[in-house]
Amino acid sequence: MPPKEKVESTEQVLQAVILADSFDERFQPITLETARCLLPLCNVPLISYTFEFLAVAGVQEVFVFCCSHSDKVKAFVKKYEKSSNMKINTIVSQELMSVGDAMRELDAKQLIDTDFILVTGDVVSNMKLDQVLEEHRARRQADKSAIMTMVLKKASPQHRSRSVGDGSLFVLDQGSKECLHYQPVKAFKSTREDRRMTMNMEIFDKHPEIQLRNDLIDCQVDICSVEVPALFTENFDYQDIRADFVHGILTSDLLGKTIHFHEVSDVYAARVRSTQMYDAVSKDIISRWTFPMVPDSNLQVGDCYEYRRGLVYKEKSVVLSRTCVVEEKVVIGANTQIDEMAVLSNCVIGKNCVIGANVKIDNAYIWDNVVIKDNCVVQHSIIANDAVLEQGVTINKGCLISFKVTVGANTTVPAYSRLTALAEGEDDDSDAELISDPAVVGATGRGRSFTEAEGSDDEDEVEDPKNKQVSMLAFDMSELMLSAKEQEDSASDFESEASDLEEDLISPEEELDREVAATLDRAFQDGHDVDIAVLELNTLRMATFSNFKEMRKRVIPGVLKHIDPVAKPGSGKTAKEILNRWGSLVGKMIHDEEDQLDGAYILQRACATLYQDVAQAQRVFAPALRYFYDEDILEEDAILEWYHSEKSQQGTDIEKKLREVAAPMIQHLEQSDSEESDDEDDEEDEDSE
Amino acid sequence: MSKGTNDLVDILVAKLKRRQLVGSSAVAQATLKLLIVVISKNNWSKANDLLNLVRSVGQRLIEANPTELAIGNIVRRVLHVIREEFRDAEASSKSDDHSEFQTVPLTTSSSMYNLLSETGSDDKEYTHASHNLRSDIIQEVRDIRIELDTIYENIKNQATNHIHSNEIIMTIGRSRTVEEFLKMASSKRKFHVLVAETAPSYLGQQMALELSKAGIEATVIPDSAVFAVMSRVNKVILGTHAVLANGGLVAISGTHMMAAAAKHHSIPVVVCTGLYKLSPLYPHDEDSFNVVMNPDAVLGFEEGDLMEKVTVTNPYYDYVSPEFVNLFITNQGGHPPSYLYRLIVENYDPNDHTFDPLA
Repeated sequence: MPPKEKVESTEQVLQAVILADSFDERFQPITLETARCLLPLCNVPLISYTFEFLAVAGVQEVFVFCCSHSDKVKAFVKKYEKSSNMKINTIVSQELMSVGDAMRELDAKQLIDTDFILVTGDVVSNMKLDQVLEEHRARRQADKSAIMTMVLKKASPQHRSRSVGDGSLFVLDQGSKECLHYQPVKAFKSTREDRRMTMNMEIFDKHPEIQLRNDLIDCQVDICSVEVPALFTENFDYQDIRADFVHGILTSDLLGKTIHFHEVSDVYAARVRSTQMYDAVSKDIISRWTFPMVPDSNLQVGDCYEYRRGLVYKEKSVVLSRTCVVEEKVVIGANTQIDEMAVLSNCVIGKNCVIGANVKIDNAYIWDNVVIKDNCVVQHSIIANDAVLEQGVTINKGCLISFKVTVGANTTVPAYSRLTALAEGEDDDSDAELISDPAVVGATGRGRSFTEAEGSDDEDEVEDPKNKQVSMLAFDMSELMLSAKEQEDSASDFESEASDLEEDLISPEEELDREVAATLDRAFQDGHDVDIAVLELNTLRMATFSNFKEMRKRVIPGVLKHIDPVAKPGSGKTAKEILNRWGSLVGKMIHDEEDQLDGAYILQRACATLYQDVAQAQRVFAPALRYFYDEDILEEDAILEWYHSEKSQQGTDIEKKLREVAAPMIQHLEQSDSEESDDEDDEEDEDSE
Repeated sequence: MSKGTNDLVDILVAKLKRRQLVGSSAVAQATLKLLIVVISKNNWSKANDLLNLVRSVGQRLIEANPTELAIGNIVRRVLHVIREEFRDAEASSKSDDHSEFQTVPLTTSSSMYNLLSETGSDDKEYTHASHNLRSDIIQEVRDIRIELDTIYENIKNQATNHIHSNEIIMTIGRSRTVEEFLKMASSKRKFHVLVAETAPSYLGQQMALELSKAGIEATVIPDSAVFAVMSRVNKVILGTHAVLANGGLVAISGTHMMAAAAKHHSIPVVVCTGLYKLSPLYPHDEDSFNVVMNPDAVLGFEEGDLMEKVTVTNPYYDYVSPEFVNLFITNQGGHPPSYLYRLIVENYDPNDHTFDPLA
C-alpha cells in the first residue's frame, strides 16, 4: 500500500508535543471535574481536534503533557490511540504549573531529538503544516539560530474567533519572515505599562521595513527546534511561551536567536482558550469553516452525523417530535429526544439528552445526558453532563452549569452564574457534604454557586478583573461600558478608572467631540450663562490637552446646530436670536488674526455640512458672518483674506455658494476700505476680479 | 479479518475521513486495491463468509466518506463478481456430479426469466465450500482493475463519433474524462471549446489551460455568461462525480445551471463517465450525496464582522435530474438515461444495494 511506503520514506519521525493543560481557570467550575482538553466541542472531545490536526500534518509521534485530571486524559488517549495511526505518549507530572515547566520537563527527559510541533490541547485547525515545516527546515539549514516558527492567521480586529483579552502585537519583517518583537495586549489596560510598548531601536537599523500587526490570531502552533526546551531550562523563570519566551528571546542580545513566523490566510486555526472562544469555535465548526473537520465527517469512531439544510447536524438515532422546531445551526447527538413544540436554534445538544415540551434553547451548549423538562428557557450558556433542569427553569446568558447540578422547578438563574455540584473546599474526594443553596438552584435543586478561590492567581498580582470578564461566554461589551458609566457618575475623582477606560475605548478626538457636544447641549438646555459655558469648555480643553483650534472646530458647528433656519422670529431659534445669545461663546475661542481666518473657514464648512439645502445654509451663514463682523469676532481683514483665499473657493458646491453669499458684504467692506485709503485702491480692484 | 488487512482498512478509512483521498477515480482505485488484499489475505471457505467480509469492509469505507459513491460502486462490483463465480462453480460442480441435462442457472438475476421467480432465498446458495475459487475471484477482480485502467481509453475512442468539425462545445469544471475525450477529438477535428470558469473552485480555468496546451481553441467564460452564449453552442459535454440510478448526476456546482440552459436552447447534453461512477442508489432529495465545503472561498474568513451576520453555504456538487441529460458515454458505449437501469442490473446484484450483514 502506498501510505506505508510513504511513512518509511521520510527519514525522520515527525514529533509533536501537546500541552493538554491550560494552566488557567477560565472554565471553572466545569474543569474542577474534568480536564479542559476533554470538554466536548460539538460533541467531540477538544483534544480529538488537535490529534486530527496533527495526524493530517503527518505527525507520527505525539507527547501529551497533562497535569490536572491526568487519569482521565490518559484513559482517553489510550482509547484514541487504537483508532489512529500515531504513537501517542502521555507524560503526567503533577508539578507542572506552566508551559515553561512542561518544556523544562521535556528537556530533562530528552524525548525530542528533532524539530517538533508544539501545540496546546485546544487547537482546532484544518491547516496543512507541510509548507510551514519545509520553510522552517530550509531556514534551519541556512541559519542555525532560527529556532522557532510561529503560525499566525490573519483576521479582522472584531473577528468573533479572536480571543478577547488575549491580543498580541507582533512586529514583523515581511521580507525575512522574522518576528522582531512581541507584546501581549490586554483588553483593558489599567496600568500605564499596559498601554506602552518598548522596542529596541536597533530593530529599525537592521530592518528597513517593519510591520506592526495587531490583526493576527495567534493560535500557538509553533514549529520548534530542539534548542527551545533547552532555552527554557536555561531561563528557569520563563513561564509563558509568548509573553516570556518569545518576548525574552527577542529582547535579549546575548542569545542571538531568531524567531520566524508563517502567515496563513485561507485555512482555519483557532484555540479554545476561554468560554467566549468555546462559543466562537463551536459556531465556526457548525458553519463549516473548519472543513473537513465538521460534525458530519464523524471524527469520533461510532458517530454518525448527517448534514441537513440550514446547517443542522443530526445523528440517525435522534427522536424529533412532530411539532418541534429545529432552526438553523444545530447539532444533535445520538439518542437524544426532543419533545413537542421545543424550539432549538444555534445550539449543540449532546448524546442521550431529553428536551421537554415547549423548551426554548438558543445559543446554548448542552452536553451529554442532560434532562431539560417542560417550559424551560436556556440562553447562551453551557450545561455540562448529567445536569437536570426541572420544569419552568430559565437560564440566562453566560451561565456555566457544571456536572450533575439540578436546578429546581421555576427557578430563574441570573446571567453569568456558575453553578457546581461539588462540595466546597475539596476537589475530588467527596467526603464533605454538598450544601445546596436553595436561593440559587431552587428548593428541590442540587448545587451551589461557585466562587473562584481568592489568591489563586498570585502570579499576575494586579490582573484587571475586567480582562477576565471579557473572555467569558456571551459577554457583552456594551454591558461593561454601562457599568463603567455608572462608576463615573458616582465617583467624584476625575482620574477614576472608569474615565480611563473610556479613553481606551474611543479615540481622544471622538471623546472631545462627544464632550463638547454634551457641554453645549447642557448649556443650551439649562440656559447657562455664556461665561459658565466658556469655563466648562476651557476646562475640557485643558483636560484633554487640546488647543483652541480643536475647540473651534467643534464649538462653531455646535452652536450653529441649534439654529433652525426655518424658525419664525420670536421662537428663540432663528439665527439672529441664537447668535445674540451664544455668539460670544465663539468669540472666546478666537484670539488673534490667524484664529479669525480659521474661524471663517470653519464657519463656511460648518454651514455647508450642517445643512444640505443651499438656501437653508445661506440663511444661517449670512447672518452669522454679519454677526461675527458686527461683534468684532471676525475682523475685516480676516474676512477679506478668507474671501480671497484659494481655500475658500475650493470645496463642495454648497461651500462655494456660501462664499458667493458673502460677496455683497465683501463689496461693502472693500468700498469702505477704499474710502479710507485711496492708494490701495488699484490693488484691491485687481484682487476682486 | 487478519491484523494486516485490518490496518490497511484503517489507513484508507482515515484517509477518506480526512479528505486526503478525494475524487471518484482515485477512490475507486484505492478501494479496489484494498479489496484484492482483503480477498487474498483472509481465510474464508464459504461464499457467505467472503461476502460478509467484503460487505463489512465496504460499510466502513462508505461511512468514512458517504459522498464518494464510487467506493460503494466498486464494492458492489466486487460482490457481484464473487456471486457470479460461486454460481458458476456451483453450476459446474452440479453438472459434473449429477445429470448433464440440468439447466445451468442463469448467471444473473437480471433476465426477465428470473424477475418472476423468487429472489429472496438467493443468498443461501452460496454457502457451499469451494475449491480453487480464490484465484478465480481474484482474477475476475483484477479484470475490473484493468477495466478501470482502460476507462479513459475506451471513452475517448468514441470521441470522433460525437464531435464534428467546427463545432462549439461547452463544458464546466475539470474532468479528466472530458479532457481526454476532447483531446482525442482534436487530433482529427478542429473545434472550439467554451469552458465556464466554475467559481469558486475555478477548475474551469485549469481545464481551459490544459485544453489550450493540447492545441484546442479554448475560451474561459464566466459562469454568469453560460446562458447568454448557450445559443451558439452545438453540444454540451459534461463530466460528473457520480451517476445515480435514475440517471441523475452529482456533478460540480454550476452543472445544473448549464444543463438547464442547454435544455432551454435544445442543445444536446452529453455526459462522459466511467461505469464505475454509476451508482444503484437513488436520490431521495436534492441534498443527498452533496458536500458542503468551507465557505472561505465564497466569503473570506478575514471578513469577521460580516461573517457573523451571514450564513454561507458552499455546496461542491449540483444534482442534475435525468431529463436534462441526452446521452451517457461510458466505457461500454453510448446510452440514453433510460437505459441506465439495465447497466445497473448487469453490474450490480440487487441484494448489495445496502451493506447490512447477510443472514
